[in-house]
Amino acid sequence: MSSILIEAIQTELGATERWPDDVRLYQPYPNEQIVFPDYASCLSVKTFLHMCGLKFGVELRTNAEEMSPSGKVPFVKIGPFLVSEIEPIIAFINTRGFQLNQDLTDTQRSEMKAYMSLVESVLVNSELHLAWLNPEVVNEVTKMRYGSVYAWPLDKILPWKKQREVRSRLDSVGWAKKSIDEVCDEISTCCQALSERLDKQQYFFGDRPTELDAIVFGHLYTILTTSLPISRFAEVIREFKNLTDFCQRIDQKYFKDRQNDY
Amino acid sequence: MAGDGEMELHVWKGDWNLPSVDPNCLAALAYCKFAGVPVCVKKTNNPWKSPSGELPVLIHGKVTETSINNIFGYLRKQNWGSDFDLTNKQSADVIAYTSLLEEKLLPALLHSWWIDGKTYVDVTRPWYAKAAPFPLNFFLPGQKQRQASDRVYTSKGIGENVLDTEIDAKIYKEAKECLNHLSYKLGDQDFFFGSSPSSLDALVFGFLAPILNAPLPGSQLTNHLRGCPNLCSLCTKIIQRFFPPSAEDIDTHKKEKQEEKKMSDASLDFPHKKRNMFLSAIFAAIAMVGYAFMSGLVQIEVVDEEKESSPSPAKPSEPSNFEFQPLFTEDDEQQEDS
Repeated sequence: MSSILIEAIQTELGATERWPDDVRLYQPYPNEQIVFPDYASCLSVKTFLHMCGLKFGVELRTNAEEMSPSGKVPFVKIGPFLVSEIEPIIAFINTRGFQLNQDLTDTQRSEMKAYMSLVESVLVNSELHLAWLNPEVVNEVTKMRYGSVYAWPLDKILPWKKQREVRSRLDSVGWAKKSIDEVCDEISTCCQALSERLDKQQYFFGDRPTELDAIVFGHLYTILTTSLPISRFAEVIREFKNLTDFCQRIDQKYFKDRQNDY
Repeated sequence: MAGDGEMELHVWKGDWNLPSVDPNCLAALAYCKFAGVPVCVKKTNNPWKSPSGELPVLIHGKVTETSINNIFGYLRKQNWGSDFDLTNKQSADVIAYTSLLEEKLLPALLHSWWIDGKTYVDVTRPWYAKAAPFPLNFFLPGQKQRQASDRVYTSKGIGENVLDTEIDAKIYKEAKECLNHLSYKLGDQDFFFGSSPSSLDALVFGFLAPILNAPLPGSQLTNHLRGCPNLCSLCTKIIQRFFPPSAEDIDTHKKEKQEEKKMSDASLDFPHKKRNMFLSAIFAAIAMVGYAFMSGLVQIEVVDEEKESSPSPAKPSEPSNFEFQPLFTEDDEQQEDS
């Protein structure tokens, strides 16, 4: 969300100080509070920052969602700027001269955008669907976690309000009425496409990572490792061997080897 | 092929030299043409024909498919496809670009058709009100507008501190980027994947052709799309090659033009000029006659009646002849009596 003026100011200030030392990424508490769709987007952003080799600190806030300029987590504070959500963050960091996709041709960049929106539309929507519309998961996991940091009666009201928001969002894109089988089919089609694209390469576009790799890793890794009452999504993804290998590779390289936190 | 009856495809009718005005209908029509599906196209303009309330709808025997993805999927299962020559990687690209179109371009398209005030009032609402059948035409445009605004605003911003204008700026920016990406992907090829069209070409055509051909006043999308010549030529190529104007269309087009020529500019502004003149002449005549009766003529009549009624008891059986001539005869009789 930024007008041309704000973009101009961002570039101007960015020229003097490309990456300040006190960059902070704000997110809810990962062990107790965060819901897994949010966790996936936080992990995507962190992976992207690690891939760029940028240093940042993580700040845990119970009200990170309310602090965010767009109402979504995570958001980063870079100097005087607050930027939220993965795509604006990537665009912002690109204006600072850190780019992962400078070696790509225009066609490849266009394909990268297409696959990014595939992940955004299919994986994000199915995560939201599972987390907020599946009765079993909502009652056993999501509402408990989301409400855990608030006192009664807020711990009942806020999850209910959030659920309504998510339902209307999914309804507007025609996902609210999908059954779990249909959602699994969507994920399967999406993974099929990603798997074909990845093939036997190390990353989606050759041997250098791009933001697509960060996003795919963030979502697939979250779905594979989160333990939920319903684990059908993970089963669907495990059918694609090269995708699970890909997740392990990135996990090893950017998190385990460098002892970074998730 | 199942072979149970012929396939029917119900769509919105066309305008502005397009076979249909709705993106999804256009895409479905284009796909059928690409794959050579023997489908019977019905321009019903009635979304109540469809179980989901959306056109296009494909009816084949007992099967009814509504959304564009389901229609493509069904046709593919029936072995009617334009994508069989694609490699696996290209099929993956089709899926990815489909979601790019739906995520990035669709919101801006809906915005410029349904939410932009001027276009909605001048173009969209009159068009759908005219096209839809009787009871629907009153509420269909409003209903479709609500759906569009849901799709654009609810899915884009959940936070309360995001303004609608910010969302507008964002979706148009994304849509322009999306057009650029499509243009890069197409490059200087004939179609997205070489020399023969695929389902992606059908979808892109469905989205772009209305932006290009419809009279959207001052639309940012139209201007931006004109700046991507390869996408424009893709649209015109598809129209020329797969939708040549049929004899019927040419006839109706000619008739429309002739009618337009017949009507002068003034008669376009006042289509009921003659009728109005006639009515006002009648009104003036009635008013004048009424005034005449009220003021002058009425008295004369009353006098006449008194004259006639006082002697009339003598001859009560004759009032039917009471006009002009009997006056004299009666007078004569009276004179005779006296």
